[in-house]
Amino acid sequence: MMRGACAVAALALVAACAPTAAPPAAGTASAPVFARTPDGKPDLNGIWQALVPANYDLEPHEARPAPLDELGALGAEPPHLGVVEGGEIPYFAEARERQRRNYENRFELDPERKCFMPGVPRATYLPQPFQIFQSGDHVMIAYQFANAVRQIHMQDPGPAPTSFWMGWSVGRWEGDTLVVEVTKQKADTWLDRAGNFHSEELRVEERYTPMGPNHLLYEATLEDPKVFSRPWKISFPLYRRLEANVELLEFKCVPFSEEILYGHLRKGYRGREAE
Amino acid sequence: MKQPLLALCVAVAAPLGGASAHHSFASEFDANKPVSLQGTVTKVELINPHSWIHIEVTADDGTKAVWEVEGGTPNTLFRKGINESTLPVGTVVAVDGYRARDGSNRMSGRDITLADGRKVFLSGSAPR
Amino acid sequence: MRRGRAVMKTLVLPSVGVCCGALVSGLGHAQAPPEVFDPAYSPPRLPSGKPDLQGLWSNALVTPLERPADLADKAFLTEDEAREYQAKRVEALNRDSRPDDPEADILLAYNDFWWDSGTQGVRTLRTSLIVDPPDGRIPELTETAKARLAATPRPSADGPETQGLSTRCIYYATAGPPMLPGSYNNHYQIVQTDDHVLIVNEMVHETRIVPLDGRPFPPETIRQWRGSSRGHWEGDTLVIETRNRRADTPLRGSSENMRLTERFTRVADDVLLYEFTVDDAQAFTRPWTVEITSLRVEDGLMYEYACHEGNKSMYGILGGARAAEREAAQWE
Repeated sequence: MMRGACAVAALALVAACAPTAAPPAAGTASAPVFARTPDGKPDLNGIWQALVPANYDLEPHEARPAPLDELGALGAEPPHLGVVEGGEIPYFAEARERQRRNYENRFELDPERKCFMPGVPRATYLPQPFQIFQSGDHVMIAYQFANAVRQIHMQDPGPAPTSFWMGWSVGRWEGDTLVVEVTKQKADTWLDRAGNFHSEELRVEERYTPMGPNHLLYEATLEDPKVFSRPWKISFPLYRRLEANVELLEFKCVPFSEEILYGHLRKGYRGREAE
Repeated sequence: MKQPLLALCVAVAAPLGGASAHHSFASEFDANKPVSLQGTVTKVELINPHSWIHIEVTADDGTKAVWEVEGGTPNTLFRKGINESTLPVGTVVAVDGYRARDGSNRMSGRDITLADGRKVFLSGSAPR
Repeated sequence: MRRGRAVMKTLVLPSVGVCCGALVSGLGHAQAPPEVFDPAYSPPRLPSGKPDLQGLWSNALVTPLERPADLADKAFLTEDEAREYQAKRVEALNRDSRPDDPEADILLAYNDFWWDSGTQGVRTLRTSLIVDPPDGRIPELTETAKARLAATPRPSADGPETQGLSTRCIYYATAGPPMLPGSYNNHYQIVQTDDHVLIVNEMVHETRIVPLDGRPFPPETIRQWRGSSRGHWEGDTLVIETRNRRADTPLRGSSENMRLTERFTRVADDVLLYEFTVDDAQAFTRPWTVEITSLRVEDGLMYEYACHEGNKSMYGILGGARAAEREAAQWE
């Protein structure tokens, strides 16, 4: 009918003018356009980066001062409405208490400060780019921060022999979405700088869905029966880095962290005790 | 005629990359402080650059102390089918090695054996 | 009881495998390279038509980098000799034997099941991984390089920065570039896309991202431990050029002007021929070339090697040095 056709045409116009809108269902006239690999899957190859300042705090937050007064506005944290669907992370009461304690001591405790690998999903929204390499069943993601990298096993790799900082990732396609199940992450990683945390029981389901040639919709559902009273979800776009010749450079931050980790054991050290 | 190569003897050499391990154990452990202990496993950390096996040792007077025994990279073990459940907590092990230079309850695991003398990770499902 | 077991006295020597024993001379005549790979072999190909080098490879080889002095003229082993040599080398590398000398004993660190130096020599049957110069040894250093080496302070336990890069979990020669066999975790994984090659080394989750699109190198002022790499195909060989490494990652005395050229050619389903040439006129009196046969790992995975995150040894090394200083101070 005419009305239906107009509605579809209107949708197409809206989609063209608002590229950051959530992608309509595949198969409609306004489905996003993006490249595909020879095996018909969306081509996710490239350098991507999140723009949301979720690494400061996943939950809604006002602007905050820097953890160190001397940094002034240099280390101050920008505000954000948050990326958690529903607003707050559904902690158990005791877990929320622990998150608050983490927050109060975040400068000392944050593993990012020590240049420890960030785990998933934090690696996705660190303010540094990452690169997806996708070639049939060979899928890996390289992160600029600390040279972190993980393999997405597209064929069953069997159980993980132990837990890992970047977890154990098993991937599959659901239509045009790459779904990655991440388990066996060490409990030592944080979800952001605000002390949001998890246990070794954490399971993350990531979804990467093209929104267009230069945008991916990233969704992650987190489940941890020891810490959260129910699963909860974050989502935001990932933006393709479009500068000519952009590449990941070396951010091997170990030297930046050696003073805070080992300084108290230096020859001739005279000062406060180790953290 | 086959030329015997018998005299191509080889000494143990540090590998080509120049590092025989993550670091030289001589800088961490003291050759003058050999240690032999027996205890029960309380924790197994299959981490890099070195694994750590924690054992609880009971002295003659009943006091208990936990020692951390340093091993190698677990990645080699993973490829042999070993995982974090292979060495269960409570297993009795004997450790022969050298004490840490810093005086802590840490030691190198020069030999880690089960009660029957078999080397720890070469038992059970692990291939020899 | 440790001392009751059969003990093989072993010497732990620095990186070159030096021979102790009777000289074995080759047959005395020039040796042609044995035909070990099928010249008609054609590798599996990607949809783009390029050879498929993807998957997991291992550089665990018992062949030394430099030819042992006793074998000065002998560039190749026969297959029988290689089997014998490999068996002896594997036995010699076994860490289960306990030397009487505690200092030597400590250096062997822990039991053999932790290690993976490999059980095979290089598939080309060479007596060294270095194939050029013909004597199989690293060329002599220039006077500049010798002076720089002499002036370089030895690693010390004064602080973390005076330790080696591997002890700090920053850089391992196993991954380089160039890649070299090590005592364990000799694995690397390759992923190929139309315009990039990714090489991930297990040690220390080193990721080398190599663009193939002809883009220029970054400015020379950007120095990285892994340098900067650019790749292209020459027929069925992937060629990677690397330059602009940091000054603190020398390869056997190399300078920061080192140009490294690596070549990857799949010569059999299970063999990736990995060659590299070091071109560094400031450090070496001539270029030198290495050939390694990386072996495919079909039933195995590469695992995360999170080094810095678990580096308890650094505390032990620094703490031990400080304890020794305190003890020495008591006697003053």
